[in-house]
Amino acid sequence: MSSLLNTLGKHFPECSKGDLIPVLQHVQDQEGYISSNAIREISEYLNISCSTIYGVATFYSQFKFNPPGRHSIKICLGTACHVQGGDFILSALQMEIGIAPGSTTEDGRFDLERVACLGCCAIAPVMMVDNDIHSRLSVIKLRQILSNYE
Amino acid sequence: MKSDKGTYISVEIDGKRIQVPEGSTVLDAAASAGIYIPTLCYLKGLKSYGGCRLCIVEIKNMIGYPTACTTPVTNEMEISTKSPELQSIRREILELILSEHPYSCLICNDKKECQDFMHTIRKVTVTTGCNFCTSNGGCELQDLVEYLDLKDIRFPITYRNVQAVNNNPFYDLDYNLCILCGRCVRICNEERYSGVLAFVQRGNSTLVGTAFGESQIEAGCEYCGACVDVCPTGSLSEKMGSWVGVPTDSTTSICILCSVGCKMNINTKGNRIVNIGPRPGKRTEPDQLCIRGKFIPADITHHPERITKPLINKNGIWLEITWNQAIDLITKHFKKFTGKEFGIIGSAHDTIENSYALQKFCRVVMGSNNIDLSPTYNDLSLFKKVQGFQPVGIDEIIGFDTILIIGSNASVSHPIIENRIRKAYHHGAKIITAHSHLNRTHQFSNERIIYHPGSENIFLLQILNDLKTAQNIKFPKDISDALKLIDTKGAATATGIKQAQIRKITESLAPAKKILIIAGDTLFKSSLSNDNFNLLSNIYFALNNFADCEMMFLVDDGNRFGATYIGMHPEYLPGFLEVRNGAKKWSEAWGIDIPPVSGLSAEEMLSNLPGNNFKSLFLKGDLPNHEKLDELEFFVQQNMFITETSKYADILLPAYCFTESNGHIINIERNLKQINPAVHAPESIKPTWQILSNISQKLKNKSFKYRKTDEIYEEITAKLDLSIDKTTRKTSKPELSMPDIKIPGKKRKIEMIPEPDYFLYQGNSMSKLIPDLKQLIDNKGGKHG
Repeated sequence: MSSLLNTLGKHFPECSKGDLIPVLQHVQDQEGYISSNAIREISEYLNISCSTIYGVATFYSQFKFNPPGRHSIKICLGTACHVQGGDFILSALQMEIGIAPGSTTEDGRFDLERVACLGCCAIAPVMMVDNDIHSRLSVIKLRQILSNYE
Repeated sequence: MKSDKGTYISVEIDGKRIQVPEGSTVLDAAASAGIYIPTLCYLKGLKSYGGCRLCIVEIKNMIGYPTACTTPVTNEMEISTKSPELQSIRREILELILSEHPYSCLICNDKKECQDFMHTIRKVTVTTGCNFCTSNGGCELQDLVEYLDLKDIRFPITYRNVQAVNNNPFYDLDYNLCILCGRCVRICNEERYSGVLAFVQRGNSTLVGTAFGESQIEAGCEYCGACVDVCPTGSLSEKMGSWVGVPTDSTTSICILCSVGCKMNINTKGNRIVNIGPRPGKRTEPDQLCIRGKFIPADITHHPERITKPLINKNGIWLEITWNQAIDLITKHFKKFTGKEFGIIGSAHDTIENSYALQKFCRVVMGSNNIDLSPTYNDLSLFKKVQGFQPVGIDEIIGFDTILIIGSNASVSHPIIENRIRKAYHHGAKIITAHSHLNRTHQFSNERIIYHPGSENIFLLQILNDLKTAQNIKFPKDISDALKLIDTKGAATATGIKQAQIRKITESLAPAKKILIIAGDTLFKSSLSNDNFNLLSNIYFALNNFADCEMMFLVDDGNRFGATYIGMHPEYLPGFLEVRNGAKKWSEAWGIDIPPVSGLSAEEMLSNLPGNNFKSLFLKGDLPNHEKLDELEFFVQQNMFITETSKYADILLPAYCFTESNGHIINIERNLKQINPAVHAPESIKPTWQILSNISQKLKNKSFKYRKTDEIYEEITAKLDLSIDKTTRKTSKPELSMPDIKIPGKKRKIEMIPEPDYFLYQGNSMSKLIPDLKQLIDNKGGKHG
């Protein structure tokens, strides 16, 4: 029995199909993302097909399917950030690190995610790298900020 | 719909007053009143979904526009289905649905003219309009546009630009045409329980797909074709049919590739099979086929390597000859080898008429009882013994509360039966599976047993012994005496199944009221077939002490029971009459004296060559073992293909496929079923009975002469009842006897038992002949096993 199945057995002893979302959240907490292997093991544990699990997981934006990078970038595209040019920041960021939202750079340095609001609209446009908020972004500031994270 | 006893209520639909059973939906009620309500996502037999919104209706005193498929009727409900407002809303809904589907052709003024002239461009991979679509003419969107008289669509086309999948076996996928009605997803999960398809992503990017975009094979697709059958568009389409066009004819026939004998509709155009579905026209019935019935018949009928003319073997080179030359040559040699020197090996995939003709030819014209089927079962009397058990109907399986399935890989060998087991499981039945390795049915079982390969008999003995102890069942004395001597520890070592596990099974059997034992083919293909049968009979007896127990024998090959019953057997004449003492009836009917000695079985004919004076063979189909065939002096093979065996044949005759044949079979439920020809065989092919009749005439034998298949059928039914009535056989009780089983010591003898090839047709391995099937089998053995 793999370690994942072991912990599932401990946390979800009832093996009920209704536990699928809590199980997925648990796996993401443990492993950082939902891998195809994890889906296979959940499928075996809950007796739900892999396709159905993947269908459920992809419905919710909280689940990630790529291993997280060393640093997580969350770029805000909420109303205020959007008005302040959040779209340009995102395009520039994508060009800079070469990945689309929802994926991780090949070297594992960054993963990128777009979010709807970070709750600090007054200092828009903003992005969050790990736990740091970077405000009033511009394309020029972007490169300098990224260089602080290795 | 509810049972007859349910109350009926009165509703009014479009001014028409009708009585409908309580609990039915507005859509059901409208259908029973003969009123059409357009639908896209609705599928009879599946849970209502209410996704497409086309079936909206107006109901008095109800706000808004409820969907007919999800709204139950209430007393005195007044429903309107076709007001101008409803039609206008439906039109708008259809416009929205079509905004994600290439629609130009649907609303084009010249579509009629266009369809007449552009009928061959559907071979392209990107479908941008109806004329490029494999579903053109069979598409439900086309019907709806016609019905709602949609003339213009105000939304721009959103083309998804998803890569079409053309390297999938048997069917193509193009999700650019998908309207997300969810029929395929629902049938895959709710009816077939395959769990391959799901809606992935959400919102605008929702698509039907698999986990991480893996291929259908990787996702464990069983290729039952249910999704293809129910797709209203061209998103899913059979590869075979996409090159032919819209079918113009449909023939109802029976699939004989396994013993279930499913009804199928073969849709044809000209002399070509386009597709095979559960019913003609709209392909939306819940009674589904499996990979065999759905995809294989077309591939095998129109196979490019099929032989169509008689061939003669000249030092390893096949030369075409005429039928007259072939018949002359065969007659010349058959004259030399009559009686014991001659034999026939037939196929269990042949019709009753052909099987009857083969055995009669052998007995009447050639004077030999050397007649058998290939591949053979070790226990020659198995089918006569099986007849002592009442057959279980395939749709009755769902009514059992406990099902014990032993030694069967049913998801491959009998997918439709396994589907009913899955249904029973989801309806709360207790399923116990026991097999030598993990297979798909284990996903649908409460108790899973995996015994050591080859230890089936000891496993059955363990069950029997524990049933006796736990349930205190009174067996006849010889059996209980024999059970007393059993070394339970030794048995547990031999099977790998501990006593505690066995007890768990017997405990779950104890509260059962209706038990079904499904005995798989592996129990009867081993050398221990007879022991296994006796043990099963004993278990059947034991279970019948406290529950209503029935037994189902999963024999393979479409007409295995029918062919044996009709006399393709060295020891039995038609109707299981023994050659040794019961030959009078058939001697009189045929006007000759049947040799009163049992003939040789297929195994015996070939194993003692040339020692047993066996010199000449007529083979229908193909044989698995053939190393001694070159010692035959004269060997005629009739087969659709040139195979490994053919190199030993002197003459090779072409054969009909069942899609071209006329005749009957008897299936696993022992029901007589009729096979109808959907296409004509090439003119240069003759049916087996006609070839035999020609040979018989050359041999100047007057008692074997037929002009039509019907003549043979009439001759059989005049003497033998083929429509075996279920009630007549319930009385017979199986004879109980205890096999002498030696439990091996610690050093277990290892016997290699190859996994049987479940894809045989008349002995030919279809997985070798059909590239798509080969691809599928080569890829198997992944996570789903």
